[in-house]
Amino acid sequence: MRMRLVGIGAVAGLMSGLFGVGGGILMVPGMVMLAGFAQHRAHATSLAGIVPVAAVGAFVFGRADSVDLLAALLLAVGSLLGVQVGARVMDRLSGENLTRAFGGFLVVLAITMLVL
Amino acid sequence: MSPDQLVALALIGLAAGLLAGLLGVGGGILMVPAMVLLLGFDQHVAQGTSLLVIIPAALTGSYTHYRNGHVVLREAMILAIGGIIGAAVGALFALSIPEDLLQRMFAGLLLVVGLRMLLPRDLFRRGRPSARSG
Repeated sequence: MRMRLVGIGAVAGLMSGLFGVGGGILMVPGMVMLAGFAQHRAHATSLAGIVPVAAVGAFVFGRADSVDLLAALLLAVGSLLGVQVGARVMDRLSGENLTRAFGGFLVVLAITMLVL
Repeated sequence: MSPDQLVALALIGLAAGLLAGLLGVGGGILMVPAMVLLLGFDQHVAQGTSLLVIIPAALTGSYTHYRNGHVVLREAMILAIGGIIGAAVGALFALSIPEDLLQRMFAGLLLVVGLRMLLPRDLFRRGRPSARSG
């Protein structure tokens, strides 16, 4: 179980560093399916694990001059506000439809990126 | 950066945070393409910047969960051991490949994640028998 967690972390970390994302998209299902975590606990634990993972990624990109500090500050201010609002209205919105709508939006974004 | 761009960045952050709070999906998957497509950021810089933003977001989020007793700190640390190594390798690899290739790979990731969210869940269960039954 311990080795499985290290393995899940390694794969999610690879994805995080490679694509500049948190890696929770891989960590959470990995912990649920392979390490027997309950969904909620996996979500909370992965979020804590992401902190050092993102820090290492940001450090490597920062050394290569590939971090925009002002942009990061503005994004962080916006996202810290947004996450509070999002967490509060979560109960009032239907999860599945919202997930689908966002999924459709990501597909459109992907196609835009490929075409441009 | 122009004032318009500064406002746009704060709004992108707001949208990414909102979605993270609503769906539990990290903000990076939205922040990176928004920076690239709307503001013309270099793919590498967009990714590095996204990683920096994820740190305070994940820190505050996990603190809230920690107070509610949902974080298993020891497990999070074990997860991070593998994660740190993976992240260093992934980031060095990302920096070593040209921007347009990295952008295409990112678009591939978006497509996979988007389709997984868009398509009904049982579609995947039907297609892939569980490890236990096989």
